[in-house]
Amino acid sequence: MLGGLESVRVVLPGDEVMSYNPDSSGGSIFLGPGLRWEDGMVRAAKAGLLKKTSRHLYFVDTHQKRYIPQRREYVIGIVTKKKGDIYKIDIGGSEQATISFLSFENASKKTRRDLALGDLIYGQLIVANKHMEPEMVCIDAYDRAMGMGVLPAGGVMFNVSLQVAREIINPDCPFLLTLSKKVKYTVVVGMNGRVWVKAAHQNSMVALMNCILMLEYMTPDEANEKALKLLEALM
Amino acid sequence: MAQHACELSFLSRSDGSALYSIGLNVALASVNGPGDVKVSNRLYNRSHLEVCYSPSTGHSMIRERALESVIMRTVEQAILVHLHPRTAINITIQEMQSDGLALSASVNAACMALLDAGIQMKTTFAAVTCCITPSGTVIIDPTEAEIQESVAEATFVFESSGEASVLTAHQDGRLSYEDFKKCLHHCQVASKDVFAFYRRMTEKKYQNEIES
Repeated sequence: MLGGLESVRVVLPGDEVMSYNPDSSGGSIFLGPGLRWEDGMVRAAKAGLLKKTSRHLYFVDTHQKRYIPQRREYVIGIVTKKKGDIYKIDIGGSEQATISFLSFENASKKTRRDLALGDLIYGQLIVANKHMEPEMVCIDAYDRAMGMGVLPAGGVMFNVSLQVAREIINPDCPFLLTLSKKVKYTVVVGMNGRVWVKAAHQNSMVALMNCILMLEYMTPDEANEKALKLLEALM
Repeated sequence: MAQHACELSFLSRSDGSALYSIGLNVALASVNGPGDVKVSNRLYNRSHLEVCYSPSTGHSMIRERALESVIMRTVEQAILVHLHPRTAINITIQEMQSDGLALSASVNAACMALLDAGIQMKTTFAAVTCCITPSGTVIIDPTEAEIQESVAEATFVFESSGEASVLTAHQDGRLSYEDFKKCLHHCQVASKDVFAFYRRMTEKKYQNEIES
C-alpha cells in the first residue's frame, strides 16, 4: 500500500462502517470524503474502497470522473470569460471558478496580468463549498507564485479520472519518474483530473499522454513495467 | 430468479454509466452530475434531478413519462441532494431490450450508474419484479409471456440499509391482500441477491486497486 494507507474493504452507500458515540468511545476518529455520521453510526455515502490511515482517518476512495471543488486543492482551469477585474475559469465542476487579476505574483492595480480566453491556469482553490462559487488564486499566503500561474503555450492538456491524477502526484508513486528515464518533459497535474504535459517534440507529448492514460486500466505496477516499452513504440 | 449482468463505465463520456441486464431485458443508464443547471431549474438548497427514459422502439410517450416519474421518485430518496445545491444531476436511461422487466432493469441500471459516477447516496436500491399465476405461484423476474398469463404483476424497489424498506411499489392487476404480502415477501428475499450482485460488481471495479 502506498504511503501508510490501509485498504479495509469495498463499501456501498448505506453500509455501516462502525458505530461511534462521542461520549462513550475512547479516542476520536476523523471522517474524510465519502463517510457520514448519523444517529451514532458511521455509514458510507459512496461506493468505493474504505481506507484508513494510521491516525484514525477513514475515507472512501472512489474512482470517479466528476470533480467536486475542494478548498486548498491545486487545479488546472481554462479561462472562459473576463468580467471586469475577474476572470471566469472552468475547473470541471458544476460552477465556474473566479480569479481576480490581483491573484498573480507581482500583480498590482497598475501592472495587470492579462489572460487570454482559452489560457490554462494552474492555481489553488481558496474558496470551495456547496454554498458559494469557487475562487482560485495563483499565489500563496506570502504572495509567491510557487509554480502556479499561466501554463506556457505548446503543451497538451488531457483529462484523466480523479484517482489517476491522485495516484501520479503521490510522492510514493514512481510512475512519472519512470517516464522521465526516456523523455525529458514538464508535467502539471490538477486534482480536477486535468494533466498538462510539455516535451520537446509533439510525438513525445502524445506518447506521454498515452502512458498516463494507461493508468486508468492498469495497476501502477503493471503500468510501470509497460510504460518504457510503450514510449519506445510510440516515439 | 433470472441472470443479472452489468458492465460499469460502459460510456466513455458520461460521469457514470451502466449497462444492466436481467435475463433478456437490457437497459443502459448514464449519469452526469452534479453539473450546471438552467436558471429556471436552479434550487437554492438541493440538486435538481432529471430522468430521461428512451424506449427501444418508437417515440417517448406517456408510458415513458410515467416510468421517468417512478424512477425519479425512487432515485430522489436515495441521493443526498442537499450536498449539491444549485446543480443538476441528469440520469438518462435507454431501453435496449425489453422482455417485461423494463422497469426493474432501468432502476437497477440507474443505481449502478449512480455508484459508478460517485454521487453520494444514503443507500443503494434494487428493483425486483414478480408476477402471480392463476394457481397462486409467485414467479420472480418473469418473462413477458409469463406476465401475460399471470393474474397480476408487481415491482418493488427496496433500499439496502436499515430495515430494507420499500422505496417504490408498482402493481398491475388484481391482488388480494394475502397475495400482495406474498409477492412483497418473495421480492424482498430476492432483493438480497441483487444487493449481493451490486457488491460483486463494485468489488470487480476496484479489483486492480485491491490487488496492488
